Amino acid sequence: MNDAALEDRALLERAQEGDMDAFETLVERHKDRVYGLALRMTRSEADAAEITQDTFFAAYQNLKAFRGEAAFGSWVHRIAANNALMRLRHQRVVEAATEEMLAPEFTDRGSLAEYPEIDWSRRADEKVLDEELGRAIRQATDRLPEGYREVFLLKDVEGMSYEEIAEMMGISVPAVKSRLHRARLALREEIDAFYKEV
Amino acid sequence: MFTCKDSIHSLLEYVDGELSEEEVQLLKEHLHGCAPCVDFLNMYRATPKLARRALVDEMPGEMAGKLKAFLRGKMAK
Repeated sequence: MNDAALEDRALLERAQEGDMDAFETLVERHKDRVYGLALRMTRSEADAAEITQDTFFAAYQNLKAFRGEAAFGSWVHRIAANNALMRLRHQRVVEAATEEMLAPEFTDRGSLAEYPEIDWSRRADEKVLDEELGRAIRQATDRLPEGYREVFLLKDVEGMSYEEIAEMMGISVPAVKSRLHRARLALREEIDAFYKEV
Repeated sequence: MFTCKDSIHSLLEYVDGELSEEEVQLLKEHLHGCAPCVDFLNMYRATPKLARRALVDEMPGEMAGKLKAFLRGKMAK
């Protein structure tokens, strides 16, 4: 367990004994990531704010019952993800059709129709992320259709397991994997397009 | 023999270590002779890493203040 997780564990134990300053500290430490997850899933600042409130209130109400099997951060992220998914289910949103998702094209013989011009993969490890690139990725993630965006966020950003995501979304593990793969391909195309214009 | 299409189709399982030995062999044979697919694989692997770095949000100050007030109100009851 890393230092941050150890600190969380100590704060959680104090919060469970009634120390509300400790709980507030936990909220302060995790609110940005919870808000960020809710924002990326719902694409609405207002919804993300409400989900964040609901999430930490639920955590507060269930403090004593939480046995600490998972880290506090993982626990609240899961609550937030479930809250966001429930909200999305109740909304009717006009989404980009999945057929419009960007994907590599192939010739009749199965070869790549267009070769990558630049291999930008090493940029992922650079110290500073280009601001324009960051903005392009955020916008591209927002453009992912519902059902694909959540899978990408929960797996590749939050690090949840396929089984957890399948259970939360009410779909099969193969469906999670298929959507994740298509989401990654779409985002890869968007990042590629960004570098071609630079 | 894997085509580029077969290879790209199998990337998720390959990165997860879930391909069969035979499929790994077929993929590696293709990659050995296809530099564009090697680049594609590198970029496929880099995409989640870049996304994690880009998708870092901060709750606006005013909103954070409202969150604190909301929770304090609930905790006081």
